Amino acid sequence: MAEMAEMANLSDERWKENRGQQSASPEGLARIGQKPQTITMDESSNPYFRIISKDVREYHFIVPSEEWVELGEIVSIHDRRVERGATFLARITDLRHDSNYDGNWDTVIRGDGFYDSDQIFCRVVAEPLGCMTKEAGGRERFRKSRTIPAKFSPVRKAEKEELRFLGEVMGDIEVGRLRNGSRDVKEIPVALHSDAMDHHMGVFATTGMGKSNFMKVFAASCMRMASSKESKFGLLIVDPHGEYIFGSKGTKGLLHLDRYREGIVCYSTDKRHLKDPSVSNLTVKRSEILPQDIEVLYDWTPAQREALEAVSRVFYGEEWLDDLLTSEGAAKMIAEGFHEKTIGRIGRTIRTILDKNRYISDLTSSIPGMVNNLLAGKVVLVDIPTLGERSELFLLSLLSRSILDRYKKESAEGSRGKSCLITIEEAQRVLGGGEGSLARFESIAREGRKFGVGLCAITQQPKLINKQLLSQFNTFVILGLADRNDRTRLEESAKQDLSTLDVEIQTLEKGEAIVSTLKIPFPVPARVHLYEEYLERLNREGSSGGRGRIGGFSPPPD
Amino acid sequence: MKIVHMADSHLGFSAYGRVDRWGRNLREEMVYQGFSKTVDKIIDLAPDAVVHAGDVFHHVRPRIRPLYVFQQNLERLVEAGIPVVIISGNHDAPKSYASLSPFTLFEGMEGVHIAHHYRYEPFEVGETTFHTIPFCLGPEDYLEEFRKMQEGRAETSGGKDVLVMHGLVEALWDRRLRTVGEHQLKESFLKSDFSYIALGHYHGQAQVAKNGWYSGSVEYFRFNEAKDEKGFLYVDLDTDPGSVKQIKIQDEYMIDLEPIDCIGLSSREVEGLIGSVCDDLGLKDKIVRLRLSEISREAYRSLSRRLLGELRGEALHIEIIPEFSDEPAPRETEPMESRDLPQEFRKFIEGEAAGEAIPAAIRDGVLAYGTGLLARISEKRATERFDAAQ
Repeated sequence: MAEMAEMANLSDERWKENRGQQSASPEGLARIGQKPQTITMDESSNPYFRIISKDVREYHFIVPSEEWVELGEIVSIHDRRVERGATFLARITDLRHDSNYDGNWDTVIRGDGFYDSDQIFCRVVAEPLGCMTKEAGGRERFRKSRTIPAKFSPVRKAEKEELRFLGEVMGDIEVGRLRNGSRDVKEIPVALHSDAMDHHMGVFATTGMGKSNFMKVFAASCMRMASSKESKFGLLIVDPHGEYIFGSKGTKGLLHLDRYREGIVCYSTDKRHLKDPSVSNLTVKRSEILPQDIEVLYDWTPAQREALEAVSRVFYGEEWLDDLLTSEGAAKMIAEGFHEKTIGRIGRTIRTILDKNRYISDLTSSIPGMVNNLLAGKVVLVDIPTLGERSELFLLSLLSRSILDRYKKESAEGSRGKSCLITIEEAQRVLGGGEGSLARFESIAREGRKFGVGLCAITQQPKLINKQLLSQFNTFVILGLADRNDRTRLEESAKQDLSTLDVEIQTLEKGEAIVSTLKIPFPVPARVHLYEEYLERLNREGSSGGRGRIGGFSPPPD
Repeated sequence: MKIVHMADSHLGFSAYGRVDRWGRNLREEMVYQGFSKTVDKIIDLAPDAVVHAGDVFHHVRPRIRPLYVFQQNLERLVEAGIPVVIISGNHDAPKSYASLSPFTLFEGMEGVHIAHHYRYEPFEVGETTFHTIPFCLGPEDYLEEFRKMQEGRAETSGGKDVLVMHGLVEALWDRRLRTVGEHQLKESFLKSDFSYIALGHYHGQAQVAKNGWYSGSVEYFRFNEAKDEKGFLYVDLDTDPGSVKQIKIQDEYMIDLEPIDCIGLSSREVEGLIGSVCDDLGLKDKIVRLRLSEISREAYRSLSRRLLGELRGEALHIEIIPEFSDEPAPRETEPMESRDLPQEFRKFIEGEAAGEAIPAAIRDGVLAYGTGLLARISEKRATERFDAAQ
């Protein structure tokens, strides 16, 4: 990685020198075993770094073959035809060896070498991103381009000033820095828009590419917003691995962000985590569980499903769970025409759920507090490392129903607080469509936005997510996907064209991302902050605020 | 070990202007009598300790009478050999470090442990540790004090642990009293590994966790408490969780009557209904509220003054509230938290500025000056004296 950065820096120097004279740096050439040489030309005769083809969808230019150019780099093309000048931006999507020779030139000895160095080069293919023009008053405006730059318009690596407009279209939830190739543009943060969050977000990456790191950075930015009461949505994270709260394997967690602890509320089933003053014991009241919460969990036979649907008709009130388990309750169901074995299976399942989910209580419930905090725009972390997968799905389904019901109610009354975003880890389990999917999440994906409820689907297999559901997602954060089918599924469903980024997505390194969201004009390459570094920065931010704590009291002297 | 958990005595509370033959406020005397009655009952029960979870006094600078009543009763408990643990609450804790707490007078009494220094203090009574966090000046201070306590707890083991705090837990926040210094207690403070959590501030008896209770007040203070049973809690810490018995001290003397539907009724008919309701109830020494729903202004104006005077003479206090048919029900609006003022001001200015009411040239200056000023004001409000009115 360090070597890559070094090489990229070398190339930066060379790019700067491209003004009618092309010189290859001694270090760069030494790497490829050639003597340094300088080719002096007059400006109009230099063929490198000039647009030579092709059309409005694709620009081509050539660079010396020893030049270091990377996929994903953004270049600027200055077109002098327009009175005030126009700058086109394009992203490199492909690199090819090319030459002015026909046929198998590269194996034929010409003179004392294989080739004439000035006849071979690299062809760079770039995808147009848009065009920046100066408007009356000197203000710059970026828009999609409806034309092509003039032939031979000069190309150079986009400078931070030319990318500065991106800073203005970024949102309020910072997740990283703009990346140009493998070089970071430190001055330009990449930030998602709060307003887009109820339009659903997907985070896609294969294992080890930094999903958890991204989510922690995202949540930390949300905590920061919530602490200053500027957040526009609440974020629910159900963490089955126990890694978000205090981190794991040497990483830090969300509660290490002391500066913005006010922005998070945590519920846990883990006794070690419960010792922290900010962590509440997770409880769910028995009376909050409805038959449909049980229904989503198992593969029921049609008869069992029918019996479950009848439960709310047969038993009145909130005590159905206990009533059904009594012999009188079973008799009532049998009297309704259901088979004894059917009722027995349902009863056994309920006992298993109650046994495995020890957070189910007769007395108290964390759910109203959770929803209140979401409505207030806080991050709500539910830490359940001690529970199995089925229990996790049960809890997630129960929480989602409670949240959606409350948001629907408050939306109808016109008194709804802030929107919310429900995070689902391994989302392919519940958004796959057909068998194995959970109708509840599908309905949130389809209609949640009407009530201010969005989904944040995290998965390493987007190919398993229903295509129509995925097309409801307006924000994609892609952290590297090796499987072609996964990439194709995303390209088919994204709101912005990702097809040209296929190779770049394939070659993303850990921590690098492509962020595609509606309010940013094109999918932007980003380097996601390393959470531990971001945490340190946020903890240092500003003063501790307020009057400064005195820490108890000592009486004044008599 | 058995403990008594009580809270919110509010000694010194007075109301209604009715006095006894010595000129003492009747309502105030009732509160003192209730407190003495409570101590009688505690001495009868002979618990191993008494916990008072805040707001012993109604005022931060109580007069001599409430101080005297408190001292007398405290001495009775001490003489009976019952250790007492007390924390200050939002009513009786000074809101400035410069003021002296009334509890300073009682420091050093044998068997009496009082936490009123805005910080966590542990007190050991037998094998039980009482972890007390009294009223703190800023809501954020509780977290820090709780953290200190958890660190202390991690170093000790064995014995029973009782947490004592004053404030309103998140789950009851919609029932807040909107009094000065009312702080929210995080749900995360209700740790299940305490033997018992004794809370004060909320005047009803309520269980908020498997091991956490509000004892409620011994007296009725507001009409929304009228349906509550008033008394204290008797807790056996030797069971898990502590078994809790509610001990009733007061009869229901505060009555919030069902509204009388007065649609189309004349004043005589309304008088008849009022008389009948009050006769059934028996007004003597009671505090009563009666709403006349949908009454016409004419009928209300014509109600017999003599009848109303008689009712007022009989009851300790009676409130007859007309809800006129031509008047919309009053809307409750959410009071603004002083710490939110700078943010609110920013929103207001941004709204005004969008309408160009404030010229762009001075907008930033106005915003910076205003938010700075409001931040300073809310800062002062948080630390200077703004205690309950005497």
